[in-house]
Amino acid sequence: MLMLAGIVILHITTIILLLVAAIDNAWWVTKTVSTDLWGRWELANSAWHYTNLKDYPEDYLQAVQATTVLACIFAILALFVFVAQLFTLPKGQRFTFSGIFQLISCLCIMIAASIYTAKFHPIEKEGGFGHSYVLAWISFVLTLILSITYLILRKKSE
Amino acid sequence: MLTFVALASVLLLGIVPEQTEGIAIYTGWERHALLGSDIRLSCSFFSWRMTSEDVTFSWTYRPDGSRDSISIFHYGGGVAYVDNKGPFRDRVEFVGNPSRRDGSILIKNLDYNDNGTFTCDAKNPPDIVGRPSSVRLLVFEKVPIQAGVITGAIIGVVLGLLVLIVVIYYLMRFLVARRVFSLSVSKHGKKKKEGSQARQGPVPPADPTKVKAAASEKKKQESRKDKK
Repeated sequence: MLMLAGIVILHITTIILLLVAAIDNAWWVTKTVSTDLWGRWELANSAWHYTNLKDYPEDYLQAVQATTVLACIFAILALFVFVAQLFTLPKGQRFTFSGIFQLISCLCIMIAASIYTAKFHPIEKEGGFGHSYVLAWISFVLTLILSITYLILRKKSE
Repeated sequence: MLTFVALASVLLLGIVPEQTEGIAIYTGWERHALLGSDIRLSCSFFSWRMTSEDVTFSWTYRPDGSRDSISIFHYGGGVAYVDNKGPFRDRVEFVGNPSRRDGSILIKNLDYNDNGTFTCDAKNPPDIVGRPSSVRLLVFEKVPIQAGVITGAIIGVVLGLLVLIVVIYYLMRFLVARRVFSLSVSKHGKKKKEGSQARQGPVPPADPTKVKAAASEKKKQESRKDKK
């Protein structure tokens, strides 16, 4: 019972982290700029202004956007499938469906973070990766752990 | 009361036609084109009057960053006059149909100097009061990818594949169950013909899907009891 609660809480935490990584525009942060994935926040005269992204490789940016959104969708679907499988799975069987969805989500966020690392901000003197980027990698690890858990875990057969 | 309503409606009907009269001209908002290609700039209008024989279309061009406009096309009295001196000489062609209220022009072999605003003005006598409409032309070496097209395509394809795989999975399960059912019926039929009814007993031919459902129902009941 406790393990079940722990897994569900971990899954929900992963979904929250993925959503923050996807929505918050903070993959690349400098002292006056917080940018990426959807727009650019610039600090000018102590007021933040939102502008569109310019001078980016358009196709790679859209690929990162798409895979991040897909990772969120699959993580949420995996939660629903897990809860459904809790009630419908025969005893002694593995949660393969939820494990597969979680694995696809893990793959998608890994693709997103990798493309971002490789293709964006290659030559910039100041600034560093922001909290959304860090959360993306953390949710990669968590989704990987969860998917392996789902693929190994068996339903209690008492 | 009734007379007041009648008077008010007559007044309104008197006012409204004045506002709806007048000509409304439609062009695009912005057009993107590749260097060296041709572009069709469309212009049409809406007017309450019938299309008259004296309908006129005129196109003017204003380069980016300039304040002056230059006329490049005029259609009037049934004849189309194209630019033969200006920046678009021998490059403009009339491809519209004035009787269908279409005053579109075709500009060939675009160059970066053609970036600018094209304004279409149409007149349908006696309907001449209206605002000209402008379309902005942008010439690119390579047409840029519109925002969100690739994103939407990737997401759509992946989710579509997911739905397809789930549907195929359940379809296969359903078909396999049906095949097993038809096979067992044929087997049962053959055994009946051979006359080994004693082995089968009085049990009616079991429907495999029903048997599965019954088994899973039993399992569900067991799991519920165990959970409690």
